[in-house]
Amino acid sequence: MTAAPLLPRNAPFSPEDIDTLNTVVSRTTAQQRAWLAGFFAGFEAAQGGQPQPQPLAPPKPREPLTVLYGSESGNSEALALKVKKLAQKHGLDARVHDMADADMSVLSKAKNLMVFVATWGEGDPPGRAVDFYNTLMSDAAPKLDKSQRFAVLALGDTAYAQFCAVGRAIDARLEALGATRAADRIDLDLDFAKKAAEWTEGTLAKLAPADSGASTTVVHVDFKGGAQPSEDEEPAFTAENPLEAEIATLIDLNGTGSTRETWHVEIAADAPGFSYLPGDSIGVLPENDPELALELAEAVGLGAEGSSVQKLRQSFDITTLSRNLVEAYAKLTGRGDVAKLVDPKVFAEFSADRQLIDLFETFPEKLSSAQLFGLLRPLPGRLYSVASSLAAHPGEAHLLVGTVRWESHGKNRKGVASTYLADRTRVGDKVRIYVKPNRHFRLPEDGARPIIMIGAGTGVAPYRAFIEERVERGAKGRNWLVFGERNYTFDFLYQLEWQDHLASSALSRIDVAFSRDQPEKIYVQQRLWERRDEVLRWIEDGTHIYVCGDEKGMGRDVDVMLARILAEGARGDEEAGRAKLKELAKAGRYQRDVY
Amino acid sequence: MTDKRSKNEFLKEQSRFLRGTIAKGLADVATGAIVEDDTQLLKFHGSYMQDDRDVRGERAKKKLEKAYSFMVRLRIPGGLVTPKQWLGLDAVAGTYANRTLRVTTRATFQFHGIIKSNLKRAMQAINAAGIDTKAACGDVNRGVMSVANPHLSKVHMEAYELAKATSNHLVPRTGAYHEIWLEGEQVTDETRPAKKDEEPIYGTHYLPRKFKIVFAVPPDNDVDVFAHDLGFIAIVKDGKIAGWNVTVGGGMGMTHGELDTFPRTADVMGFCTSDQAVDVAEKVVTVQRDWGNRENRKRARLKYTIEDRGLDAFRAETEKRLGYKLGAPRPFKFTSTGDAIGWRQSSDAKGAKRWHLTLFIENGRIKDRPGLTLRSCLREIAELGGIDFVLTANQNVILANATAKTKAKIDALLAKHGVSIRTTSGLRRNSIACVALPTCGLALAESERFLPDVVTALEELTERVGLKDDDIVIRMTGCPNGCARPYLAEIGLVGRNPGLYNLYLGAAFDGSRLNKLYAEDVDKAQIVRLLEPILARYAKEREKGERFGDFVIRAGYVAATTAGNKFHADVKPLKGDAKPVKVVS
Ligand code: SRM
Ligand SMILES: Cc1cc2nc3c(=O)[nH]c(=O)nc-3n(C[C@H](O)[C@H](O)[C@H](O)COP(=O)(O)OP(=O)(O)OC[C@H]3O[C@@H](n4cnc5c(N)ncnc54)[C@H](O)[C@@H]3O)c2cc1C
Ligand SMILES: Cc1cc2nc3c(=O)[nH]c(=O)nc-3n(C[C@H](O)[C@H](O)[C@H](O)COP(=O)(O)O)c2cc1C
Ligand code: SF4
Repeated sequence: MTAAPLLPRNAPFSPEDIDTLNTVVSRTTAQQRAWLAGFFAGFEAAQGGQPQPQPLAPPKPREPLTVLYGSESGNSEALALKVKKLAQKHGLDARVHDMADADMSVLSKAKNLMVFVATWGEGDPPGRAVDFYNTLMSDAAPKLDKSQRFAVLALGDTAYAQFCAVGRAIDARLEALGATRAADRIDLDLDFAKKAAEWTEGTLAKLAPADSGASTTVVHVDFKGGAQPSEDEEPAFTAENPLEAEIATLIDLNGTGSTRETWHVEIAADAPGFSYLPGDSIGVLPENDPELALELAEAVGLGAEGSSVQKLRQSFDITTLSRNLVEAYAKLTGRGDVAKLVDPKVFAEFSADRQLIDLFETFPEKLSSAQLFGLLRPLPGRLYSVASSLAAHPGEAHLLVGTVRWESHGKNRKGVASTYLADRTRVGDKVRIYVKPNRHFRLPEDGARPIIMIGAGTGVAPYRAFIEERVERGAKGRNWLVFGERNYTFDFLYQLEWQDHLASSALSRIDVAFSRDQPEKIYVQQRLWERRDEVLRWIEDGTHIYVCGDEKGMGRDVDVMLARILAEGARGDEEAGRAKLKELAKAGRYQRDVY
Repeated sequence: MTDKRSKNEFLKEQSRFLRGTIAKGLADVATGAIVEDDTQLLKFHGSYMQDDRDVRGERAKKKLEKAYSFMVRLRIPGGLVTPKQWLGLDAVAGTYANRTLRVTTRATFQFHGIIKSNLKRAMQAINAAGIDTKAACGDVNRGVMSVANPHLSKVHMEAYELAKATSNHLVPRTGAYHEIWLEGEQVTDETRPAKKDEEPIYGTHYLPRKFKIVFAVPPDNDVDVFAHDLGFIAIVKDGKIAGWNVTVGGGMGMTHGELDTFPRTADVMGFCTSDQAVDVAEKVVTVQRDWGNRENRKRARLKYTIEDRGLDAFRAETEKRLGYKLGAPRPFKFTSTGDAIGWRQSSDAKGAKRWHLTLFIENGRIKDRPGLTLRSCLREIAELGGIDFVLTANQNVILANATAKTKAKIDALLAKHGVSIRTTSGLRRNSIACVALPTCGLALAESERFLPDVVTALEELTERVGLKDDDIVIRMTGCPNGCARPYLAEIGLVGRNPGLYNLYLGAAFDGSRLNKLYAEDVDKAQIVRLLEPILARYAKEREKGERFGDFVIRAGYVAATTAGNKFHADVKPLKGDAKPVKVVS
């Protein structure tokens, strides 16, 4: 459902007026609403009145609510920010804190506490929340009082063994520290939107002061945003309300002979309200491989029966083999051998590079389509860093998609979304996309600031957007790209564009690391080390450092290397290097978008 | 008065003895190329910038520049390579190049497909093997060839030693090579002036054009002595070298449709002794340095200097610089230009038996294919040690000087790797093709990748008319530059367009006479169709010992070419009717 700004039923107007206003308001764009806001504010100011809607009844006393979130890619953050508005109608005054800048005092002071937190890596907290999390888990954590009430919403992905591990841990820890659980924790998979909204409503109701007659509370609507797409504005197109957009260009950028397959995808997204900023990601709602859908249907004895195969293709995740699913399958079939799989160690063993189809083929049972669908989760979208600047390509979004293919247990496996784009869509086809803002991967406001962009493989995508954006904005800051891939001749993604940018000095310098061109492997972090003096000099000049791409394959090693280089700058003091890097991160001068 | 000298002359002049900005270009990581001017200078260092023409079509669309890489040609005087060197070069092929070694028509190796970031390391690895790439290309004296197998006799060894001495004497002296490839860094200082006396023989402008020297020992003309700027033909008297006939003005290259460019067989200019040879070479080079055409590179080779100034004037000037007269040429007799494929025996100084295997290598390409792992085979033979490898001008390899014991081991390894020492026909045994596509920037048509099919098609025919084992020389090039010396082939095929070739007939089997254009723009089918009746008649009507190249003249298919400047005379070519087939470019 859209986030259309409908006036609430309890708005200070007659029901008829509310409807009439809503017919107009629901069609407004961010810009129009901002204009209206400005208009009325200006008007009232001119009348000498204050732009405060007049309450029908005096506001009730309000309870404080502390909302705390830990987020990497912004889901938990978005949920937390929504609470701020909703809370008011429950007579709660919400203050929202990011674990990134919060300390323990936030906890000790909290009367009512709602936590929204995601799990990353393999059961790890989001990068920016690590410090907070570690302190909370340590003896340095404050004792809490049972008068302090809390509730935790955990985000995760059942595809990972450590499903919602961080949420669980925090929930248990708060109780152990002495606080009182006001509502049961909820662990949510990638399809969290609806359930999260319900849980939030329910939990707010529980936390709300006994006497808060919601009906009469006044909503303090604060208009955000302006001509620029605003940071905290909900994007017009979301996973729940995607945009149907046409594929305009589809090119495999790797040269013949490459061991890679990386697609440059241009999407014509010229729809009102569609906008993004460099650093954001575009979500793609894929379709499964029809052959796999068929195989799966046949594996459970459904045969090629049309309707269910189509549903399997379009609506369900038919590749991910999660423990929850195995558990459910064991219950459904009552098979002992499947039940044995549920044991974490056994499961880890079995699920390693196996997929759902293997479960059904190894432990075959006839299932009705209803039973089958009951086991499956909705097909989640996949995120791709936007590789273009809207200013440079109005109405377009460019993506850089690395195709995922591998072979295991005698089957050719295909990444759902990447092969959906590479194999199963053509130029002119429509794809469903949405915008995933990432306010933690942004160009410096100050165009004069230098930036260092470090990325391997598809990690280079956002940097294409960054350079384009800086050119459009006439930003004068120096730009340094450090790019890595396998082979120079085949895999130098966007090479001709980088050459043009160098020629026009839009790009100040480029360093490359191609791992497979010579006997010894060379990676981006080595190049950084070789150039450490310049890196330190750039950092002194106020550089913002960006790292994008595969976490395991690169992100980690670059992080270590940056700390080491900063340590060099601090006469070899490891601690100081680490600290300096943290400092840069806190100051928003070290931003990572790793996956 | 305006300076009409060709662009390259200014380049050489301003290059600070071949330094240019090569070092800087190597350091630029945004491109796999170097700037145009430096590509000209790089040739003097033994390397050409190329790009994979098979994929040119797709690159820009993929936002990639051309698939640049570098070809590196080695300087191997006389083509002699020790087993240890072989192993070093094999490693370079596997580590930095396209996993192949390419034996060239001038008896050396080329590596293909070395990318810029590896070029320096490849050069260092090559030099570490005790071989350099100096002057393998460029407007200088190129690699010096000598008769295929030095180990056959004292005479052959003497020819080889002389070739080596000549090559070393005429190699450029500039320090650029060491600075750029071996020491590194300091060349990046482009302001540093080169020492005045860096090139005693060549000076600041080097030669007007490439220059090629060979040493031949009759009756084998396996180096095609008449195809080169300067040649030495051994005059042997009772097992000793009495001296050398000196030939000048040979060359193959021409340009389609430009009649003042033509292949030319060298003239015999005189006679000199062994200890005069290097001096003679130097003086001939300096006369060409001063007399050669520096305005039109298409007419800058020695062969045109001789055409324009006349042989007598050239001899006179050479003798003036020598300070003595050359002797009168002595009689000599060549029998063939090919290699004797297979095992052959000789006895060394102490009379001990030695074995030599001349291994036919199709178009000189040494690589591993399923079922025929030639590169691995030769590597394992090199690991045996105890022999020498000799590269030949027919793109073959001789495993020289093996004891009977080693011979047995070699035979076993050949069998193990599916390498046969027998060739499928006399035609294939005498076939050579230039590299052409996909690496050669000048190719107009396929050659190395195409001649084998043509030969196969013709074998079916020679089999039928009973000529399967007759030696008939067939050579193909992808353009008229003539890198496989096609104008000295009894059957010469020269690329004009994708899929289309000019067919030349009537060269002498011993390499003394050029062929003549017989048909224009013919494709494979037409080549076979045209040759069928001619070969059939040759099989029936040839006189005893009559060569195919002589027969086609006697039978009136083509007129004999009596001299280079008559190459384009009295031709009445048949016209092909096929359309060019499309290829990438
Ligand atoms: C590798 C080789 C052919 C082969 O299949 O073995 C070869 C390959 C090339 N030759 Fe050649 N030439 C080769 C022997 C010859 C010969 C035969 C000979 O010398 O016995 C000739 C004819 C004799 C002569 O010099 O006239 C020859 C006449 C040319 C010419 C025409 C020169 C002329 O004066 O007309 C060119 C083009 C040029 O120089 O402008 C040329 C240019 C080239 C280049 C470098 C193309 C270029 O300039 O960009 C070719 C590189 C192709 C590649 O991808 O490797 N190559 N070239 C031979 C290497 C010889 C060596 O080791 O030094
Ligand atoms: C914020 C963010 C930004 C991103 N940006 C980009 C981008 O710009 N470009 C890009 O290409 N991707 C990007 N990704 C990754 C992208 O979202 C998808 O994860 C990726 O495209 C794979 O999706 P898929 O549906 O094709 O593969 P899936 O069907 O999701 O399969 C991937 C899964 O298959 C398994 N797998 C993969 N390879 C193997 C193997 N060899 N052996 C065993 N198992 C294996 C792993 O479990 C892996 O998680 C980004 C991700 C995030 C979170
Ligand atoms: C690289 C990566 C690793 C992840 N690891 C886990 C995990 O171990 N356990 C889990 O439950 N979810 C995991 N997730 C899923 C995220 O928790 C999920 O996408 C969540 O919605 C992200 O919320 P956020 O945007 O607030 O960070 C992972 C996601 C990514 C991209
Ligand atoms: S003959 Fe022409 S095509 Fe063949 S290698 Fe020489 S220059 Fe290239």
